[in-house]
Amino acid sequence: MTPGLRRGAAMVLAAVLAWLPAAGAGAIEIKEVTTPLGIKAWLVEDKSAPVVALSFSFAGGTASDPAGQSGVTDLMATLLTDGAGTLDAQAFRRRQEDAAASLGFGASLDRLSGTLRVISANRDEGFELLRLALTQPRFDPDMVEQRRAQAIARLNQADQRPQAVAGRTLMTTLFAGHPYAADPEGTREDLKMLSPALLKRRAAALLERSGLIVSAVGDIGEAELARRLDRAFGGLGVGTVQPLPQEWKPPTKPRTIVVERPVPQSTVLMALPGIARDDPDWYAAVIMNHVLGGRGQQSRLFHEVREKRGLAYGVSSGLRTYKRAALLVISTASANERVAEAIRIVRTELAHLRTDGVTEQELADAKTYLSGALALSLDSSGSVAGLMHSLQIDGLSPDHLVRREALIAAVKLDSVRRVARRLLRDEAMTTVVVGKPVGVISEPKE
Amino acid sequence: MLGGLAASAVSAPSFPALAKLFTVGRRAAESFTLTNGLQVVVLPARRAPIVTQMMVYKVGSADESFGRTGVAHFLEHMMLKGTERVASGEFSRIVSRNGGRDNAYTTFDSTGYYQIVAPDRLDLVMRMEADRMTGLRITERELISERQVVLEERRSRIDNVPAALLDEAAREQLFGRHKPYAMPVIGYVDDIKKLNITELTTFYRRFYTPGNAVLIVAGDTTPEIVRKLAEKHYGPIPNRKVEARRRPAQGGTDLPQRVSRADARVVEPRWSCDWLAPSYRVGETKYAYALQVLARLFGGSETSRLWRALVTDSKIALSASAGYSPASLGLSSFGVGVHPTPQRTVREIETAVNLEMKKLIDGGVTANEVERAQNQLLAAAIYAQDSLASGPRLYGAVLSTGGTMADIDAWPERIAAVTPAEVAAAAQSVWRDSGAVISLLTPAEGSR
Repeated sequence: MTPGLRRGAAMVLAAVLAWLPAAGAGAIEIKEVTTPLGIKAWLVEDKSAPVVALSFSFAGGTASDPAGQSGVTDLMATLLTDGAGTLDAQAFRRRQEDAAASLGFGASLDRLSGTLRVISANRDEGFELLRLALTQPRFDPDMVEQRRAQAIARLNQADQRPQAVAGRTLMTTLFAGHPYAADPEGTREDLKMLSPALLKRRAAALLERSGLIVSAVGDIGEAELARRLDRAFGGLGVGTVQPLPQEWKPPTKPRTIVVERPVPQSTVLMALPGIARDDPDWYAAVIMNHVLGGRGQQSRLFHEVREKRGLAYGVSSGLRTYKRAALLVISTASANERVAEAIRIVRTELAHLRTDGVTEQELADAKTYLSGALALSLDSSGSVAGLMHSLQIDGLSPDHLVRREALIAAVKLDSVRRVARRLLRDEAMTTVVVGKPVGVISEPKE
Repeated sequence: MLGGLAASAVSAPSFPALAKLFTVGRRAAESFTLTNGLQVVVLPARRAPIVTQMMVYKVGSADESFGRTGVAHFLEHMMLKGTERVASGEFSRIVSRNGGRDNAYTTFDSTGYYQIVAPDRLDLVMRMEADRMTGLRITERELISERQVVLEERRSRIDNVPAALLDEAAREQLFGRHKPYAMPVIGYVDDIKKLNITELTTFYRRFYTPGNAVLIVAGDTTPEIVRKLAEKHYGPIPNRKVEARRRPAQGGTDLPQRVSRADARVVEPRWSCDWLAPSYRVGETKYAYALQVLARLFGGSETSRLWRALVTDSKIALSASAGYSPASLGLSSFGVGVHPTPQRTVREIETAVNLEMKKLIDGGVTANEVERAQNQLLAAAIYAQDSLASGPRLYGAVLSTGGTMADIDAWPERIAAVTPAEVAAAAQSVWRDSGAVISLLTPAEGSR
């Protein structure tokens, strides 16, 4: 099934010659497409590169792995592109390579997601491979073995990587008793028990059209997209929307956990209960986070921890949202001897922000940055598709990109202060330190 | 395999030097040179209302000397401090306040600074970049605190990472102790600890000058706009002569060598082999294109020879790959890396890799394999064109290591012209014991 190679080269080069930049594209224009089968998609038609990119997801993720089958969703997602229909894994991969198509699946706590990227001249083949992966995945025993062994090796490696250990420890601590505590990549014991039949069953349970969300970007029109989506996804059952995990009760007491590792530098994560995406104070929280430890080199944490004291190379904070939980997480890493000082400075900054809020200047600067920053990430078809897809997951409307600016502009000093008081509570802080920290101990004792 | 070349936030381009694919379309890439010697490259793309400015200086860690490593990278950090006009730490704040982002990176051969901003802020970031080309001021206080930051960066990237420590040891053997590419980009701890202002400013004055730099502007702009702004901001800066940079024509002298690291922090062993290889500039440069094709078909994907033999068929490895990057001012390296399946011995891995190499050299490669690899390389070039981030990086990597715009234009044809016989000849030329370093990463004795 490999196309003649001269033909292959010609195919690729023809695509390049057909490329013409779009005439003065400004803000991206999102169209809503509903297919004859009822699949709803967002589309940004963009002819500035000869590429079509798709970003999509299904309801249900690793948090709903059945008991005793942790890791099943993640492993299944990997195996979707390891052979389908009459094609074994090698043949399937060769078809992707020969079409310059790249198809991949992955799982988060709440969703099973996929991306397709293909040179537009080869989109017949790209969408056909997508259809095969979705509707006829094989789960051949030798590929299941290979991916399982790789998954176990990754767990072994993660056990030795301070950042991974910190991340895992944070989740198991914060979400003890909740499905979000489980390792998305599974446990070694559970992974060993996963059979092709169980993987197939998991695929059948999640790959349903009822919770499907699709975004498309690139050199493709509305009618054509609708036709191709129906063909690729039409073979899936409609199904029922997956139930959500139970509500999460955030911790109400401070906690510090030290995980010993023989490394010269300690990795730190500090987490607080965060704010839901649909909370009226969301943008106030976004601005607060930007001032505190947002991306770039302007934040208070960057200034106090790195610039002024040289305590760390990286220090940042971020808002994380899940379907059933939200977090504000601060991360940094500092030499074992100095990490206690770094943690102390972070705490001081949190207290300062909680008491005094942000300044007029900080508010204004954050607004300009946040208004402009979204455009900075629109640098490839895939990133535009990814952005749209995240808006869809958050339940926002296509005009959100237009409304967003006004929502940011409307944030007042008072609302930032309010949200700072609400979120930055020392008594709800969970701190995880991985390394051989001096002067930091687990509290309360286990 | 040896790690990427970059020490900073962004790693060196993983694609080989690309392609005139950037220039196809209505607006081609344009290059011109100001009278002070600054080369300017414009890559117009209208995808989004953003522009990337990247200033690449033709100086990197390989321009340091033994006992004084880490200067290029440390200077990169200090460039974010102040000048006469911009207060310390304000550079990034001003960019951010204007809705933009900035960062920088250091490699063996180059140092790059970039900002991504709205098109109407290009004037602003050019003014600031021009200002710090000559006006940098470093104070003792800032140096002392930044030294801690650099040491923390080194801990994060190297000292906390056993594979990175092994890399350092492998490079010392491959390129020869105390030689430019043998020393880590970020520098050795002892050197970082004693670096002083005089060394930094001497290095800065010696290499940071218009004639030793390439300015790349990509995104929603035109060559006309860029020329006007570049002349306004960079034009008045007088050029200083920079002596030609030198790289050794030879690598390590006592090869082959084996280096190993048994580390309590390792659970999954790794086997890898690196060979001295030509770059576009040094060594058997005629093989620089064939080696890119070789790396792709030998270990560039899960359908490659190595993956099929070791992972799919004999199942003695969990992964296997090959890599090669020709954009280097001096010698480069060709690497093979294998992650063995549990219970498999290093000897088995080595035998299997050797067998695959022998098969390739004895039996050659098929026209079909070569053409598939060529297609994959060209496709990667098209996707790179789809991203506003990769264009400047690729141009920067080529133009700062002695390459020209014509080289970039000719890349697709040169890749497409590689024959099966050339691939086999390149393999034979590079896979010599006298150019090899084998690295082995294992758990500490008794730790597992």
